[in-house]
Amino acid sequence: MAKSKALKGRIRSVQNTRKITRTMELVATSKLKRSQDRVVSARPYALALHEVIAGLVTPELSQQFPLLRRPALPAGGGPARAAVILLTSNRGLCGAFNSNLIKEARRRIERLEGEGYTVDLHCIGRKGAGFFRYLGRAIATERQDVGDRPTQEHAGSIIEPLMAEFEAGHLGRVELIYARFESALSAPPTTLAVLPVEPPARGGRLPDYLLKPDAAGILDKLLPLYVRNSLYRGLVETVAGEHGARRTAMKNATDNAGELIENLQRTYNRQRQAQITQEIAEIVGGAAALQG
Amino acid sequence: MHVTIIAPEASLYEGEADALVVPAYDGHVGILPNHAPFMTLLGRGILTLRLAGKAQTYAVDGGFLQVLDNTVRVVAENVEGESDAE
Repeated sequence: MAKSKALKGRIRSVQNTRKITRTMELVATSKLKRSQDRVVSARPYALALHEVIAGLVTPELSQQFPLLRRPALPAGGGPARAAVILLTSNRGLCGAFNSNLIKEARRRIERLEGEGYTVDLHCIGRKGAGFFRYLGRAIATERQDVGDRPTQEHAGSIIEPLMAEFEAGHLGRVELIYARFESALSAPPTTLAVLPVEPPARGGRLPDYLLKPDAAGILDKLLPLYVRNSLYRGLVETVAGEHGARRTAMKNATDNAGELIENLQRTYNRQRQAQITQEIAEIVGGAAALQG
Repeated sequence: MHVTIIAPEASLYEGEADALVVPAYDGHVGILPNHAPFMTLLGRGILTLRLAGKAQTYAVDGGFLQVLDNTVRVVAENVEGESDAE
């Protein structure tokens, strides 16, 4: 009897857990929808900026702009520092989402250190910072204030100090590690070289525009916007990826809980039936003995 | 001519217009249909879009304007709402 009571308790506890995971799944689904919309609506701006910069950059111009210049490696007398910006989520329970990002970050850091850089680590999101603090690594900046709705201001406040340092020649490279949102099911960790700006490949020549002020003047204003926008997109896509990953993780958890309940219920029923059978056998046996 | 107004977070307007007045970095610029290919930086100010006698305004700040083949793209860093003005 005692065992079937314990079973009943377990069934109830798994049922409660399933309720929680199912709720989280639903919440993640609705958040995913919203953050996915944000990814999609950020696209036209990025595309327009990308196109124009691709059309304006020429090899001669790229020597003029510090943001486009590729500094030498530390061994060749270039800047000795590089920055890695790691985007992770603030919350867990989203499967391997954060650990994948962290793994990618560690790979990149190792690679940069192999090239001779001292790497400054900028962690956006609680999970990444928590991991590297556990490792005992120095973290240059740590921010948890970027939630489900990243804004241009967030992106600007993260990247602008780094842009200034890069232009001043203190930083040799800035890399961004984020989750590229491919679909609700797939957001692989991705490294984007933010600085120096990789001039996008020319998609055919721009027609002869009247340019005001001129190509250099326009680039001067648009390049910082381009850099900031790549960070903004990283933030938005990472948020969408997080919700997608959480939805998948919670769906699996809910399914597993269902399976577990089914098994437990079966064991419980069998045990109950066995007990009843045994009681009947005892009664029948007792009655037969009385009739004796 | 076809006009799109794009902010970093989303596209705000997509459709036809008869005329457009845009605050460029050095003063307002008027765009009418069949304008030559043109690209300029935006300043801060009020953008006015006219369609069938009605005007819509947006406050914009920074970004750029691109005109090509009767397609106008206003890519602004900051855009604030739309209000109808007669």
